[in-house]
Amino acid sequence: MKTPLRPFLHGMLLASWLVLGAAQAAGYDATQTLPPLPKPFAAPDFTLRGEDGKTYRLSDFRGKVVVLNFWATWCPPCRYEMPSMERAHQKVQGENIVLLAIDVGESEERVFEFTGQYPVTFPLLLDTDGAIIKKYPVIGLPTTFVINPRGIVIHRAVGGREWDNEQLLAQLRKLLKP
Amino acid sequence: MIRTQFGTTRLDYLVSAIRQVTLAAVMLSLATTAAAVINTGTDAEAELPYWEVVEHGVSMRLVQRLPDQTRGFFQARGFSIADSELIAQSCVFQTVFKNVAPPSDPDVIEYNLDEWVVHVAGARRKMKIREDWQTEWTARRAPKAAQLAFEWGLIPTRQAYRSGDYNWGLSIFNLAPGTPFDLDVVWRQSGERRSARLKGVVCAPDIHVSPAAP
Repeated sequence: MKTPLRPFLHGMLLASWLVLGAAQAAGYDATQTLPPLPKPFAAPDFTLRGEDGKTYRLSDFRGKVVVLNFWATWCPPCRYEMPSMERAHQKVQGENIVLLAIDVGESEERVFEFTGQYPVTFPLLLDTDGAIIKKYPVIGLPTTFVINPRGIVIHRAVGGREWDNEQLLAQLRKLLKP
Repeated sequence: MIRTQFGTTRLDYLVSAIRQVTLAAVMLSLATTAAAVINTGTDAEAELPYWEVVEHGVSMRLVQRLPDQTRGFFQARGFSIADSELIAQSCVFQTVFKNVAPPSDPDVIEYNLDEWVVHVAGARRKMKIREDWQTEWTARRAPKAAQLAFEWGLIPTRQAYRSGDYNWGLSIFNLAPGTPFDLDVVWRQSGERRSARLKGVVCAPDIHVSPAAP
């Protein structure tokens, strides 16, 4: 019996293989993107108390890449990405890349409770009255901004990411090169 | 010339296969721009019903949320029992809106909840969005911390997503528990208006569990 469909099926297989192969060669993980901001802007400065009792001022980190995350303990994707932020923090120790996570609208006690379940060693800052989040173009939580060493916000990620993903870390490290 | 079992040469076969590759590539490309796929089932994490729109580059899922979950969540954020009850009785869904296009895809996906239409019992209604609630909380003098959690807990009224971006948030339909409705989901993909209708969505019933009689 002749099978006129056979070349077609082979064609479909080959086309699928080409599409998948191209995607694999590109090495992308569709969820791990760091979109550039169409209009970069100077990062609004702030001073906030951390859950560790210390005071942090954003402009003190000038000369470093700052990953500035807005989150809340009740927000599921915020919780999901927190361990990857900690792993990223461990990976970039001594590289002039800083992670800061600003909790929005919650008490120090609630954030402290959270760290019992999700221990992190990078600063968790407290925007208890929501004044700082209003200075940034945040529409939903979590939202993370990447600030270059000159203090310019150049990337925004809406929703969680796997921050220790090598593609993302490579993008951050690239910002340190003159 | 080597002939195959079907009497054609390998060259003929190769030419035919190349033609079919072209056809298959066109078909694959068309498949990616096909109409929205509507899914429904039980959300694995919430173990509650969900309704979902999936189209090229876009995924939007509504997951039922029990009134008791909503009561508990908002009481823990500082709302009074009466205010938490108001929200719990208003048909709340967990909503996940994503741009699932590959990074090479420059499409920006935008939506505005003001454009979404709720069809219930033959009438067209709008959702109750952040701005509507803000007016209500001011009038009811809800605590500031509670208002802040409420504001950030809701799915944004308007949002724009690039590849890999997404939000989770509560969407509120201002309907009684157990009410069935259809929802027109509207979004813009690189400026072009698109829509899909979710049919037979049902607000979670308000279940009151009483102790079993002895």
